Amino acid sequence: MSHYLKIELLRMVRNKRYIIFVVAFPVVFYLLYSNLWGDQVDETTGLKGAVVLMVSMAAYGALAASIMSSAVPWAQERHSGWLRQLQITPLPGWAIICTKLIASMVLVLPSLLLVGLAAVLTQGVSLPAGEWAGLIGSLWIGTIPFIALGLTIGSLLPPDTAQPVAMIGMFGLALLGGLWFPVEVMPSAMKSIAQVLPSYDYASIGWKIAAGDAPDASSVLGVVGWAVGLGALAVFAYRRATVRA
Amino acid sequence: MNAIAFNGVTKKYGDVVAVDGLTLDIAAGSTVALLGPNGAGKSTSINMLLGLLRPTSGDIKVFGNGPDEAVTRGDIGAMLQEGALIPELTVRESVDFIRRLYPDPLPLDEVLRMAELTDLAGRRADKLSGGQTQRVRFALAIAGGPKLLLLDEPTAAMDVESRRSFWDNMRAYAAQGRTIVFATHYLEEADQNSDRVVVVARGKVVADGTAAEIKSGVAGHTVSFRLGLQSAAGLDALPGVSAVEIQADRVTVRTGDPDATLDALYRKTTLDVRDLQVHGADLEDAFLALTKES
Ligand SMILES: Nc1ncnc2c1ncn2[C@@H]1O[C@H](COP(=O)(O)OP(=O)(O)OP(=O)(O)O)[C@@H](O)[C@H]1O
Ligand SMILES: [Mg+2]
Repeated sequence: MSHYLKIELLRMVRNKRYIIFVVAFPVVFYLLYSNLWGDQVDETTGLKGAVVLMVSMAAYGALAASIMSSAVPWAQERHSGWLRQLQITPLPGWAIICTKLIASMVLVLPSLLLVGLAAVLTQGVSLPAGEWAGLIGSLWIGTIPFIALGLTIGSLLPPDTAQPVAMIGMFGLALLGGLWFPVEVMPSAMKSIAQVLPSYDYASIGWKIAAGDAPDASSVLGVVGWAVGLGALAVFAYRRATVRA
Repeated sequence: MNAIAFNGVTKKYGDVVAVDGLTLDIAAGSTVALLGPNGAGKSTSINMLLGLLRPTSGDIKVFGNGPDEAVTRGDIGAMLQEGALIPELTVRESVDFIRRLYPDPLPLDEVLRMAELTDLAGRRADKLSGGQTQRVRFALAIAGGPKLLLLDEPTAAMDVESRRSFWDNMRAYAAQGRTIVFATHYLEEADQNSDRVVVVARGKVVADGTAAEIKSGVAGHTVSFRLGLQSAAGLDALPGVSAVEIQADRVTVRTGDPDATLDALYRKTTLDVRDLQVHGADLEDAFLALTKES
């Protein structure tokens, strides 16, 4: 199975779409935005823009990596017959979805770490070691609901629909969750949507930790709740997609 | 022991009966062709052997186990009718990945050599031609060294030269005591590459035997001559004869053994045989006769 994981990682690293949308985008946007607003200070938290943006772009990158590395490749494999190729080998059925989950979690790391690195190198962001660990750790584990969403999309839709749906899901969650613009500047209708989305809770945990505070219980519950709900949906959809008629 | 045993297997898709009460045993170590026209139920049967499809009724055993068990044990390798590779992976990576999933695989270099992929090993799958892709799919099927190899129309995308070397490679694999079942539309392909041909049509077995038996049993040869006003009575009793047709003043006799038929025609009858013509078995005719709608 470790060889299967290696193969999954290898093919994504060779995938242009993954590299552009997931690894390059968040870093480039971080550099752009932090040059514009990096020195602004948030009155309520006292955080510098460079830090807020670091969390936002890292969260966006991780969110994008989660969905892009799961939904479309999985839909394509089902459609192209590669899934059948695997189903006729001794590889057990659960190994496929588990490997996909682990592979996606590994593929999230480059964007998280590169945005952090860009923040340190270009904006001189510095946090205590414990906060770095907490921030990166929670942004990493917190991608589980998004990976589950991606796998659900990949299990239910053919590749030509999975592609736009994954894109819309990714940008929708990022935009409405306040990763591109602060939720505070949104009209109230959008604000109330944002507050129920996993992406908002997810980024909020990061912002809190970066400010040296404990994350809100409601944010943590939100992410865990979505992880459980979407995880169950992913397992259900996976079984439906791999059932033998 | 039987490698494969179908026991009264039926598969329905809604109203369509794809496989209709199939009962068939295939001995371990044999190479068997499943010959049939489009929609005969070849792929459905193969996919049931692999556990990809479940029979509506009946029972399937592969080396004495159910299909899922056989797949888990690594007893089966297959080239399905359709299937793409992972575009970003090289030939070597794909083949090595699949072979490592089996408990007792062949060495990687040997697999590449047997599928004639040694020179293409470093090439990415999205840079392969159709025929080369088929060779990689063959490599994936044999990589685990399975005892049973299933090939569903394996030469579909290949030119004449590639077909020839494909069958050579298949025979090399079979020569190691393995069981092979392949599906094809062509009697000629079945004839040249198998020791038993099972002809299927509309989900049923319509003929089963060596290619020579099938050819002679069905179309066989034809012997025809000008009958004129003479009576055709007794021609159907000549050795080897399966059918007698009269058209205008000519009679055409179908026979599985033209030598015996001719011999008897001259020695045992008093007919005045004029304008004699003997035609060999036409493979395509044999096949069409067997599988046409009844
Ligand atoms: N998923 C499906 N749903 C409904 N009918 C199906 C399905 N798959 C196959 N069939 C029908 O079952 C019958 C047998 O199909 P099958 O694919 O087994 O034939 P085949 O012998 O492999 O044909 P070919 O030579 O064209 O590959 C056909 O009538 C086909 O239309
Ligand atoms: Mg078929």
